[in-house]
Amino acid sequence: MLSLRNLVKVYPGPVTALRGVDLEVPRGMFGLLGPNGAGKSTLMKILSGLLEPTSGEVTLDGLDLVRHPEALRPHLGYLPQEFGFYPYLSGQDMLRYLLELKGVTAPQGLKALCAQLLERVNLTFAAKRKVKEYSGGMRQRLGIAQALAGNPRLIIVDEPTAGLDPEERQRFYRLLAEIAHERTVLLSTHIVEDVAMLCPRFAVIRHGRVVAITSPSEAKAALHDALYEGTVPPADMAGFQQAHRVTQAVLFEGRNRVRIHAPAGVPVPPGFERTPPTLEDAYLLLMKDAPGPSAQAPVVGA
Amino acid sequence: MNLSRLLHVARTEWRHQVRRPLFWVLLALLVFVTWGVSSGSVTIESGSSEVGGKKAWVTSGFAVAQTVLLLTFLLFTFFVSVGAGMAVISDDEARVQPLLHTTPLTPAEYVWGKFLGVLGAYGMALAAMMGLLIFFHHVVPSGAAAEFRGPFVLGHYVRAAVWFGVPLMVFMAGAAFGVGERTRRAVPVYFLPVGLLFLCAFFLWSWSPGGLDPRVNRFLMAVDPGGFRWLTETWTKVDRGVDFYNTQPVGLDALFVVSRFALMGLGLGAVAWSERHFRRVLHGDVAVKRSGRDRVEPPPEQVALSHAEAPLSALGMGVKPPGFWAGLWTVTWAEARGLLSQPGLYLFLPLLLFQMVSQAATATGPFDTELLLVPGRFAVRSMNQASVLVCLLLMFYVVESLEREQACGFAPIHDATPVRTLSVLLGKALANSLVAVVLLSAMALAGTLVQVSQGTVPLSLTPYLLVWGLLLMPTFLLWTGFILAARSVTGGRFGTYALALGALALTGFAAVRGDLTWVTNWPLWDAVRWTDLGVFQMERAALVLNRVAALGLAVFFTALAVRWDGRRARDSVTTLEALKPSGWGRGAWRLAPYLAVPLVALVALGVRVGQGYQGAAAKLRAKQYWQKNLATWKDAPQPALVDVDLDVDLEPEASAFHTRGTYTLVNRRATPLSRFALTGGDAWKDVRWTVEGQDAAPEDRAGLYVFTPSPPLSPGATLKVGFEFHGHVPDGVSREGGGLKEFILPSGVVLTSFEPTFAPVVGYQEERGVDPKENRYEPRVYPDDFYVGPTEAGWGTATPFTTRIRLSAPEAYTLNSVGVRDSDTVKDGRRTTVWRSDHPVSLFNIIAGKWDRVDGEGTVVFHHPAHGYNVREMSRGLDGARRYYSEWFHPYPWAELKLSEFAGLDNYAQGFPTDITFSESIGFLTLTSPEVNAVLLVTAHEAAHQWWGNLLIPGKGPGGDVLSEGMSHYSALKLIEQLDGPEARRQAARGMETRYAKDRRVDGEQPLVKLDGSREGDTVVFYEKGGWTFWMLEDLMGRPAMHAGLQAFLKRYMNDADHPVLQDFLAVMRPFAPDAAAFDAFTRQAFFEVVVPEYRVTEARVTKEGAGWVTTATVTNVGTGRMPVEVAVMKGERPAPPPTATETAPAAAFHEARVRVEPLAGEGARVTVRSDFAPERLVVDPDVRVLQLRREQALAPLGTP
Repeated sequence: MLSLRNLVKVYPGPVTALRGVDLEVPRGMFGLLGPNGAGKSTLMKILSGLLEPTSGEVTLDGLDLVRHPEALRPHLGYLPQEFGFYPYLSGQDMLRYLLELKGVTAPQGLKALCAQLLERVNLTFAAKRKVKEYSGGMRQRLGIAQALAGNPRLIIVDEPTAGLDPEERQRFYRLLAEIAHERTVLLSTHIVEDVAMLCPRFAVIRHGRVVAITSPSEAKAALHDALYEGTVPPADMAGFQQAHRVTQAVLFEGRNRVRIHAPAGVPVPPGFERTPPTLEDAYLLLMKDAPGPSAQAPVVGA
Repeated sequence: MNLSRLLHVARTEWRHQVRRPLFWVLLALLVFVTWGVSSGSVTIESGSSEVGGKKAWVTSGFAVAQTVLLLTFLLFTFFVSVGAGMAVISDDEARVQPLLHTTPLTPAEYVWGKFLGVLGAYGMALAAMMGLLIFFHHVVPSGAAAEFRGPFVLGHYVRAAVWFGVPLMVFMAGAAFGVGERTRRAVPVYFLPVGLLFLCAFFLWSWSPGGLDPRVNRFLMAVDPGGFRWLTETWTKVDRGVDFYNTQPVGLDALFVVSRFALMGLGLGAVAWSERHFRRVLHGDVAVKRSGRDRVEPPPEQVALSHAEAPLSALGMGVKPPGFWAGLWTVTWAEARGLLSQPGLYLFLPLLLFQMVSQAATATGPFDTELLLVPGRFAVRSMNQASVLVCLLLMFYVVESLEREQACGFAPIHDATPVRTLSVLLGKALANSLVAVVLLSAMALAGTLVQVSQGTVPLSLTPYLLVWGLLLMPTFLLWTGFILAARSVTGGRFGTYALALGALALTGFAAVRGDLTWVTNWPLWDAVRWTDLGVFQMERAALVLNRVAALGLAVFFTALAVRWDGRRARDSVTTLEALKPSGWGRGAWRLAPYLAVPLVALVALGVRVGQGYQGAAAKLRAKQYWQKNLATWKDAPQPALVDVDLDVDLEPEASAFHTRGTYTLVNRRATPLSRFALTGGDAWKDVRWTVEGQDAAPEDRAGLYVFTPSPPLSPGATLKVGFEFHGHVPDGVSREGGGLKEFILPSGVVLTSFEPTFAPVVGYQEERGVDPKENRYEPRVYPDDFYVGPTEAGWGTATPFTTRIRLSAPEAYTLNSVGVRDSDTVKDGRRTTVWRSDHPVSLFNIIAGKWDRVDGEGTVVFHHPAHGYNVREMSRGLDGARRYYSEWFHPYPWAELKLSEFAGLDNYAQGFPTDITFSESIGFLTLTSPEVNAVLLVTAHEAAHQWWGNLLIPGKGPGGDVLSEGMSHYSALKLIEQLDGPEARRQAARGMETRYAKDRRVDGEQPLVKLDGSREGDTVVFYEKGGWTFWMLEDLMGRPAMHAGLQAFLKRYMNDADHPVLQDFLAVMRPFAPDAAAFDAFTRQAFFEVVVPEYRVTEARVTKEGAGWVTTATVTNVGTGRMPVEVAVMKGERPAPPPTATETAPAAAFHEARVRVEPLAGEGARVTVRSDFAPERLVVDPDVRVLQLRREQALAPLGTP
């Protein structure tokens, strides 16, 4: 169990990136959803031991990761949002180097393991090419391979599917899902679909606070029979937004296709029809409801 | 190109540059250094050092130019290179270029804007430096440097900045920019200033042998980006007098102006080149080697779809965090691959190899004689260079290696791995230490190549391993640890560079000021000496403690780096948290154990230095000696030695001695002597005195032992003073290492009677307790007729005395002293040798060693078994000297003439009676070339001191030493001509002339009769001009008359209480001169004035007249004085002398015709030379008979009519 207690991070400025995050992350896949700048990457860096929090506690199965970040490292698989590799090494040498740095062992030997991992991420064909010749997607896949290496107890993946084509994205989902039942996998993303597909539970973070901890089904269930879709002329849009809780509005063929949240008792505008809710609707509503940066206490639960 | 966008880019870059710590560290260094140079220590080498003498102003055009070029070169090149070279690389690493270049910004605007921004920032720093110089020189000048300060002339500063500062800066900025843009790698950028420093400081600025072809010289001047070679070779190498330097602007010539413009053109061209390259990269015409992301996508390959579908757990992976060694190996291997993938090392190696080969091949010893390359000496001699060079490269490599993860985006993944931070840091350091290994290997290879080419000294790698392995590696480890710590503390490359360059600059500054001691001299600059006779025997304790401290500090800095690094991103908030007193205290406590070893070593070293013979306590005792005795005893009458009887027991392993002996003193004065004094050694222990066999207790005046005989010593009466004491030589540790003149070491023993090391010195020692900065007094001013009547001896006592010296030491040593050997016995493993003077002597010494010997005709050379290279030649020189000097001057009165080698812990030779001592680098390791027999020169000079310095002791006072050193040089010239022919003499004379021209100080130079050794530049006048002058006197008088005069002179003054100076010499010689008027005219100029002709040939023309040719030319004496000089027209090369007397010289097509002229100073003489051959050149003074300046200009090529 990964536990976060009142985690605060203040950058010079001062800019408060985390405002007291409390979170219990159980074994399995856990999503961390939030807009850009919400504090997700800061949280990921703290969890992976790359950044020291200003205050607060982080423990993994009782292990204090703030005071002993080195204790986590053998058990951590980390795929940061932005990363690179030594350009002068080949893909397999780079992976081999990382396996050695991590102390990964395998009965078949590291060379064979490298080949197997590269095959998992579909990089066998480029194993001997210098990393500097890799495309963005290939580098991402190499990053995934190293994050999975060594059966880590905690895997932290920050925006992992950026740069992957749909096929690779699916493959990665499968890999994550496969390993998630044995360990904690923390998936940080702003792509709601990723969370919907992979995470039985997720937290929503905004302005450095956890504003919700829920599951995709719970989040969607909360909107059951309360979501409607219709069109609004652009000229009326401003007034419409004042009057209704708009979750999404997309300009399509000159008119706004609008989805609104209208729980029981709230009048539904004419022409709007009930529509099944998506996790995106739930997320966007949570964003609307979340307190601003000056609010004192986080809202937890949905 | 849009000017607005260009300026916008330039402004942005400028702002970025001036906000960096790098820039501010440069400014701080500039403040510090400009303040330092305003003290007057950095100026043109001219003027007189005596109080009231003319001083070269630090504010003159020449001094300002020199200061500006040196500061620009030493400081700006590094900072500008980093600033300019990293401009494009930083943008590359920040990945802003894709965005930038989707705007209307063009490559030209970007490239030139960035360049102008950097140039603007460092141009501002240059302006700040000029302002600081003006401020410290003129607004708040140092009071102590008033005599070095001239009036403020704005033009001096502007010209210096424009001609020396700006071109170099533009060149460096442009070149670094070009290299950075082209390679997109930091290390090649840093190679530029390091390579340039190396090339200039150790080659272009220093290599200028006498016979260098002027065209080569001008080429080297043109390619020197600093302009220092041009300034020295054109203006300051031959002193033009302080008035000239103080009042004249630096005159520019076409070569210099063109080279300055070419330099700037190269810099700007590099920027233009990089603009073109940048544009092509942007257009995808060429690939760029980058270390980051955003590559040009290669064409996709076939994607394999046969992925294993087995679960990940089937791979059976486990984790066992790598231990220290496994992590170290992994990191080292990966880093080494990174290092080897960079081109910098491969680019630099040939340059280094070339430089080291040329330096190794051109090493010179005393009298500018070339030296054989001995591995150990070469290794020690190149330690300074190696430490500077490797430290700079290590700094760049290690920092860039530490930055690599960050630069290529690998840091988050890397830092999250369980590999130990210590493994990472040390792995990187270890891999990059390959740089040191490769460079040192290249240097060893260079030395070996030169050794092979010389074909004399056997090859050996052991000295390299000993010197560089044991002594330099701790320096590099310390430096690497410091870099790791600096990077951890500052968190970035530029802060690290600023700290590290600052540390190097401060160390250099301390070294220049002489402030480095064993405690602070972490790179061991100039602290170590090598001798083949015994490795690191000198000051071994200090050396070991210093190196232990270096290693300990390396560990401490590494621990600090590990502690501070932690692989967690830091910001000011976390830094402030860490710096809270509680955190700070905790951190300090944890680091304290690492500081223990270096601290203990440094404290122990500090205590030893303080208690050593140059320490504060010793200095205080010497000062007390001076304070208590100067007024009373400096000129007090003293008795003379008539007999010396010494028993000296030597323990070389312990550097110890025990002396027991007796001086028999006589009062040679007309009045009774109520008190006299003997100076004792500072470190003598258990000193006991007797007078006439009875215990005595002389007054101990801080080391001056004052005896009060009762009754006073009557005129002619003698007194026996006995003494016994023991001590060590050296007594403890020196302050900063370096040379050691006298010593008792396992490698051998050298002790002299000049200093009270093993025996007392009669009277007061004037130099003891005198600190040049604190209590140096002006030299005595002698009246013009000071020599009339009896003149005191220049050294020793008034008249020669007899000696019996019994020496004992372990039997492996041969024990030499003055006179003949009475006995030599070995008992119980100890050798006892007794030496007795077979003819009175004026000095005595002891020298011991484990030698081989080569016997000549009444001569012996004792040498280290491995140093037999030149011994036969030295023996020939000794034999020749003994034979011919006896014929020419006076029969050699002693039975034997010995020459013994001692460890080269200092470079000198001394000619004690019968017992000459040579440092190993003099003669024994001299490289003799076909042109100059340097071995013969030094041997002949030192052997001549048996006559000029021992048989004849010159008088104390101006001109006295010329009779010793000048006469010895003259004698050497004669012997060289006698043994090897006139061409050998000509070559040797040219060498002397070149040294005189190079080292004389025009303003401080005194006529020979006034020369007292107190001024800078006096030494070269004593030796070179003195030797030349006597030779020209012989040329004037004729050989028989000169010899007759010299014999009469020696006969008159040997064994006399009146000791001669030059006036006495001339008085004796004059009657022997065939032409008294010519003698007077010559001696007036040569001895009583400072005149040196300098000839120029103009309007040289050849015409055909009938069957012959007529050459006309004007020979102008642009120097001073008036000497008859021959002018020759020549065709072909003068035939070389036959190798042996039995061979005949090959017939050579050599022709010459001569006339004699005598141009007055500043006037020209028209010469007409008729010849029956078509002349090729006209040469003034073809036989090298007239000492002159710039001889290379006293000739003219002649074309066919």
